[in-house]
Amino acid sequence: MLLAPDTHPIDRPPLKSTLSMPYTLTPGRAAGVFLAEAKNRRLVGARCVSSGLVSVPAQDFCPATGGSEMELVEAPETGTITGFTQTAAGIIATLRIDGADFDCVHRILEASFDELEIGARVEAVWAEETTQSILAVVGFRLAPGAPVGEVRPLQHAAEPLPMVPYHLDLHYEHAFGPFYGRMFDEIGTNRRLIGVRSTAIDGALLPPREVDDISYTKTGTWMTVPDTGTVRAMSVIHLEFKGQKEKPPYIYAEIQLDGAVTRLIHSVKGIDMSRASELVKPGTRVRAVWSDARTGALSDISHFEPVPDGDEAASL
Amino acid sequence: MGAPRSVAVVATAQTELRSAWSNAQHVDLISSTVMRLLRIAGIGLADVDFVIDSGSDVLDGRSISNCGFLGAMGAHHKEESRVEEDGLWAATYGATKIAAGAAEIGLIIAYSKPSESDVSLFYASQVEPFYQRPVGFDHLAASGLQAQQYIRMGGSEADFAKVTARAWEQAAQNPFVDIEAAPSEQEIASGEMVAAPLRRHMMARSVDGCVAVLLAGAEVARGMSSQPVWITGMGSAMDNHAFPVRKPGRLEACEAAARAAYNRAGLDPRSASIAEVSGSSAAGELMVLEALGLSKPGQGFDTYSGPTAINLSGGALPADPIMATGLLRLADAHRQLTQPKVFGLASPETAIVHAAGGVGMQTHCVVTLGV
Repeated sequence: MLLAPDTHPIDRPPLKSTLSMPYTLTPGRAAGVFLAEAKNRRLVGARCVSSGLVSVPAQDFCPATGGSEMELVEAPETGTITGFTQTAAGIIATLRIDGADFDCVHRILEASFDELEIGARVEAVWAEETTQSILAVVGFRLAPGAPVGEVRPLQHAAEPLPMVPYHLDLHYEHAFGPFYGRMFDEIGTNRRLIGVRSTAIDGALLPPREVDDISYTKTGTWMTVPDTGTVRAMSVIHLEFKGQKEKPPYIYAEIQLDGAVTRLIHSVKGIDMSRASELVKPGTRVRAVWSDARTGALSDISHFEPVPDGDEAASL
Repeated sequence: MGAPRSVAVVATAQTELRSAWSNAQHVDLISSTVMRLLRIAGIGLADVDFVIDSGSDVLDGRSISNCGFLGAMGAHHKEESRVEEDGLWAATYGATKIAAGAAEIGLIIAYSKPSESDVSLFYASQVEPFYQRPVGFDHLAASGLQAQQYIRMGGSEADFAKVTARAWEQAAQNPFVDIEAAPSEQEIASGEMVAAPLRRHMMARSVDGCVAVLLAGAEVARGMSSQPVWITGMGSAMDNHAFPVRKPGRLEACEAAARAAYNRAGLDPRSASIAEVSGSSAAGELMVLEALGLSKPGQGFDTYSGPTAINLSGGALPADPIMATGLLRLADAHRQLTQPKVFGLASPETAIVHAAGGVGMQTHCVVTLGV
């Protein structure tokens, strides 16, 4: 299984990659008011008008009945531990805020795991700096004998916070595998583009793979292709967007390398960009311009450039 | 409209489950699995009417990752869709298409390479972002809280260690699970506390792997296989997203999914020969067994000495290829029903297959099988 033909074991370190995802989260009315009131050090809950059940922190829907007519309330800062665990993030507990009908989760502070018990009374610990986040309450601490608080109508509620900026960074280490591994090794070591023979059509599949997509038969032996090819499609990119590698305008083209049955996407440069769509079009002959870097990535080819008429004939 | 047609599992194939397939890409694992499945089934890709696959964009590190895997899956210019749940859901989707008469042969694939990403971030991305994620609530915390609730129902930390040790012993005998040395009960019971009262081995170990299953309508299935394994019931259900609002100590969504499957199959779970279940922690596995009706609440531990063969594969604790775990349970149950002697089973007739997903097992899918 997974043996690429004529290949020594590939031992490339994995490809490190990070996906940085920016978000603008919309909290909605209930969470929006909760977050807006956090700076006033008021805990906001919500009572379902039809069921009478109270959620703290505030929710837009009743967790039990799904009722959507909710009136906001001000919740007390005391409650009871209903469950607890300890992870690398600290002590996390389920809590029942006094007057609420549902549990919530939060941190337990200033206590060791062993002194906690279910039923223990707790009180909120407010952050010193005001913040429009659930972390305005840093956590809860043990408060033996704390009187049981009551839920009250919320007077003069703040406008809901309309948006919360957020981002998520996801980190990856992708394996290359025997086929991509060999291809990138050849690019980095020998500046050679290598694919595998298709068993369905006469030509090379790039990137190489175990199975031919179209015929679903096992692919054949390795096949080197030159770094020249023909543009089959192109686009001039004018739009700016997140994650972009180059400043517009630039050309992305589908290039069919000579001898390949697949197309490679790369940029085409070295031309007068004001005449881009005239100078680069389907059928235009191009050749790779290699960068000085030898990292074993497709970016070792800096870009492709058009081959001037007559150049190829002269070199033959 | 006629009655739904019978649907059978006719063949399965899988890779070995390893903590990391560091010398293979997703496509390498997928193409080798699917090629082997077609060889086992003795058919070509032209015979396959549709492909349904399961995987996670967040785990895979690319959007709509199935689009990049189409060629390896054999889905070129075929009807293909992706289920962003465990592969067992994909199997129920495929079985429904065949039962409805819309297709004859369906290829179900699930793949996972959690070794390439950070599993804690995968779960964190599923947590509610305003009230829960900032305080550090995650899948680990949910599992720890769940285990504490289960102890209040009658379970014990000692049971968790025994369940975990048994799972690893079973997995060590499973040729598809790569294990260097199974931890002893003592090592498990004294392991690092990761989500009190759960210790390291009591949480499911993420592994890489791929599994593929071929489903067929009744007539075709009888022609393809001398031992078709019939899908007799299916059910799935989802609990409240907010963990603290779920019923403590019970998995009500699992109970609902099982009820739907048993009603369709006319199956009394206590008569089942085999159960292959996916618990994301030792406590979770016990709670699943109870929710499936294999024991009374709080007595899940007794199930292992009962008449139903539980997780002969080892289950999810030693090998959890997230998104493929439940479909592997289906492949395991299929092997046990068709090769009972290999597993020391007399003449098994029925199996219960279970998959779970989400933070603290929010979602559940149950499939019943019969021969």
